[in-house]
Amino acid sequence: MSQHVVNVLLSGVFHASILFLVAAGLQVIFGVQKIFNLACGSFYALGAYVGVSAVGWYTAAGGPPALFIVPLALAGLAVGAVGLVVERGLLSFVYERDETFQLLLTFAVVLMMEDAIRLTWGAAPRSTAGLYLVYGQTHLLGATVPVYNLIVIAASLAIAVAIGWLLTRTTFGRIVRATADNREMAAALGVDLRRVYAKVFTLGTALGTLGGALVIPATATMSEMGIELIVEAFAVVVIGGLGSMRGAFVGALVVGILRSIAISTYPELEMLLIYLIVIAVLVLRPRGLFGGAAV
Amino acid sequence: MILVAEGLRKLYGEFCALDGVSLGVAAGEFVSIIGPNGAGKSTLINILTGLTPPSAGTVRFKEREIHGLGPVRLARLGMARSFQLVHIFPDLTVLETLQAAVVARLGRGTRLFASLARDRDVQREALEVAELFRLSDKLGALARHLPQGDKKLLDVASAFALRPEIILLDEPTSGVSTADKTAVMETLVAASRRIGLQAIIQVEHDMDIVFAYSDRIIALHQGKVLADGAPSSIQADQRVIDTVIGRRARAR
Amino acid sequence: MTGRLLVAAAAAAIAVAPLVASTYHVLLMLPFMAYAVVLLGLNLLFGYAGLVSFGHALFIGIGAYTGAFLTSHCKIRSLEVILIAAAALGALVAAPVGALCVRYVKIYFGMLTLAFGMVFHTFVLKFYRLTGGDEGTPFLRPSLLGRSLEAMPKIDYLVGPYYYYSLAVLVLATLCMWRIVHSPFGLCLKTIRDNPAKAETLGIGVTRYRFHAFVISAVYAAVGGALLGPPIGNVDPTLAYWTHSGNIVFMTLLGGFTSFFGPVVGAFVFIYLQHWVMSVVPYWRLIFGAILAAIVIFAPGGLLGLLEPRRAAVRL
Repeated sequence: MSQHVVNVLLSGVFHASILFLVAAGLQVIFGVQKIFNLACGSFYALGAYVGVSAVGWYTAAGGPPALFIVPLALAGLAVGAVGLVVERGLLSFVYERDETFQLLLTFAVVLMMEDAIRLTWGAAPRSTAGLYLVYGQTHLLGATVPVYNLIVIAASLAIAVAIGWLLTRTTFGRIVRATADNREMAAALGVDLRRVYAKVFTLGTALGTLGGALVIPATATMSEMGIELIVEAFAVVVIGGLGSMRGAFVGALVVGILRSIAISTYPELEMLLIYLIVIAVLVLRPRGLFGGAAV
Repeated sequence: MILVAEGLRKLYGEFCALDGVSLGVAAGEFVSIIGPNGAGKSTLINILTGLTPPSAGTVRFKEREIHGLGPVRLARLGMARSFQLVHIFPDLTVLETLQAAVVARLGRGTRLFASLARDRDVQREALEVAELFRLSDKLGALARHLPQGDKKLLDVASAFALRPEIILLDEPTSGVSTADKTAVMETLVAASRRIGLQAIIQVEHDMDIVFAYSDRIIALHQGKVLADGAPSSIQADQRVIDTVIGRRARAR
Repeated sequence: MTGRLLVAAAAAAIAVAPLVASTYHVLLMLPFMAYAVVLLGLNLLFGYAGLVSFGHALFIGIGAYTGAFLTSHCKIRSLEVILIAAAALGALVAAPVGALCVRYVKIYFGMLTLAFGMVFHTFVLKFYRLTGGDEGTPFLRPSLLGRSLEAMPKIDYLVGPYYYYSLAVLVLATLCMWRIVHSPFGLCLKTIRDNPAKAETLGIGVTRYRFHAFVISAVYAAVGGALLGPPIGNVDPTLAYWTHSGNIVFMTLLGGFTSFFGPVVGAFVFIYLQHWVMSVVPYWRLIFGAILAAIVIFAPGGLLGLLEPRRAAVRL
């Protein structure tokens, strides 16, 4: 295969790995709570900024550069706790309401987080500087790819497997799936919905913040990254099917690779192509590839 | 025959709600459909009114197959219905609800710039129906604030406001206190004469009401027609007594 | 009765503002009036038909870019022509988009409209040879009622003739929407909002009415969008971004979507509050996000809903 094609594909898969994390978070929240979390992009951005800060402190404290990914990932995961605050403090008040209002509440979170991030970190881009290439590069299928990217792809795959295991083999997973399927029945069977919601929302948020943290070495934080990512994440879940984990996986691959192809051929078409596919999916097969009941 | 159904079957997955139901309603008939819960009565009404498609079988309204027409077209062709679980417009007033039905009937829904308040035809008809159903003193009340019985009445009244040729009522007196049930039925019958209704089909549980008002009774059981005839023959039908009536009821 | 007096008083206040208020405040009235037009249309869709669009910035963008194009590239300066062209283009685009979107409800409708909005945004952003990319296209000073007022200093033009022209457009738009909402059509829309299944059994075609509401709201958004252009002098892709769509829904909710003038009040409060907050601290989104959250949780009927609790008890 030509080097260029492999480059495009690998870059697409890397981006897909990040997208998968954010989309998985979206899906688990939508699947269980039936809320489309517009703020998932904002949590992604938060994870990115916190990640940069964590790595900054780590390096300043003299930590070995080779292990920088540890504080990065841990910080990304830890800040997912913000999800618990948002869920308990805001979302839990509107569970009985029309989904329009739930959506608008998540939009309120988007607004607040945009400025909260700007307030804390300023508007200038931040990055982890040279740490991206600390693991060097390697040759794969004829192309040169940073080892970091491969680590992230592997990590994302591992997390996908872990999520699958969590959902199918643990009690918590069974409860989550039951609640997603039929919440009234689950409640009637004794499931404490409030606690499930809190845990699910926190999990979904943590996946998003982790995604943001992991992408940072490859790029830089930008003040718009949150509101820009949401449209890509949204494309992923529409194509994959709302509420489906497999959908998040496949959808992320589709969007990630298509975007990569578009960037390298017709940059103007980059997101246009994806939106058109979204519209086509919503019209021809609204439930996406793996979505649940017909719309 | 205004409404004819032949060989209706309805399957929900494995569950068979209707299994070969056929019936015909002629002009001038007041037909009651009775049967225990789960017999398929509401399913039958939903299929007859075009809300749900049958898995098999046909329905003909005024000689015309209703398959694919949908409730909107059927309403315009002269079929109206009310619902078992009260269906109202929560944030519209009683008057507005009736006006909406009249507007739809007169085909004035596309008038964007006309004033509703000054449309005399709509006002007149809406007030007439309100009066027929004794809702005249509640015109300004929001539908969501009405007591349950009045909500039911409003649901039925708005169906009547369409001046349909046939009306299908799904438990018109459920939720109405026993004392008021006769009043509701009398109102219904008087209203139907006033608007020239050709046939009424109702699903009813109250056997006194059923035997007092029906020309014909159809008994459903487990998705099949158990009996179909005049009240006197139904009264005497042992199978119907066992499954539906429970005890001998007296026709008026 | 008090309602009418209030509206009359407000109208009078707006009419005399250029004579008594400071230039800064008068200039703020211009985007307010433009957004008021947009929101009157949006609420037909939201408050009266029950559909939440997350892509209406698409039509604002269409209106704004139409004006920019006509003045910059086609040498057409007549604001009348611009407004009519904006309305026509808005309707033209709304027809296929609306036909598609109104077949879906709730979240799918929101998602579809968001997608369409972003398609337009990407288009104007990326095809920079045509649209000027992220720098946008200039919207040159339009002539009013055939009179080119090029010689006037910009401020005098804006707080004078342009102000009253915008006001006239707003008044016309308001009267028009009032008629629509109180017409048989408006009543049918309300039935669809309240109970689509029952509306169908009355013979009211749900999809058809939603479609008409969509197109009307698009026309209003386009006209409002065109009015937004001249004071800034330039139109750019941010007008079509999805957060802009979110903000106008926010404005509608802020004022109260259950009443006719709610959205207009919402536009007013939003704009003034935003400017005031920004003069103190640049983090208006943080504060506004909190306000939106507070409204959704405690006062979903918005400001006017707080004043009329009876109306605010809408199915939520």
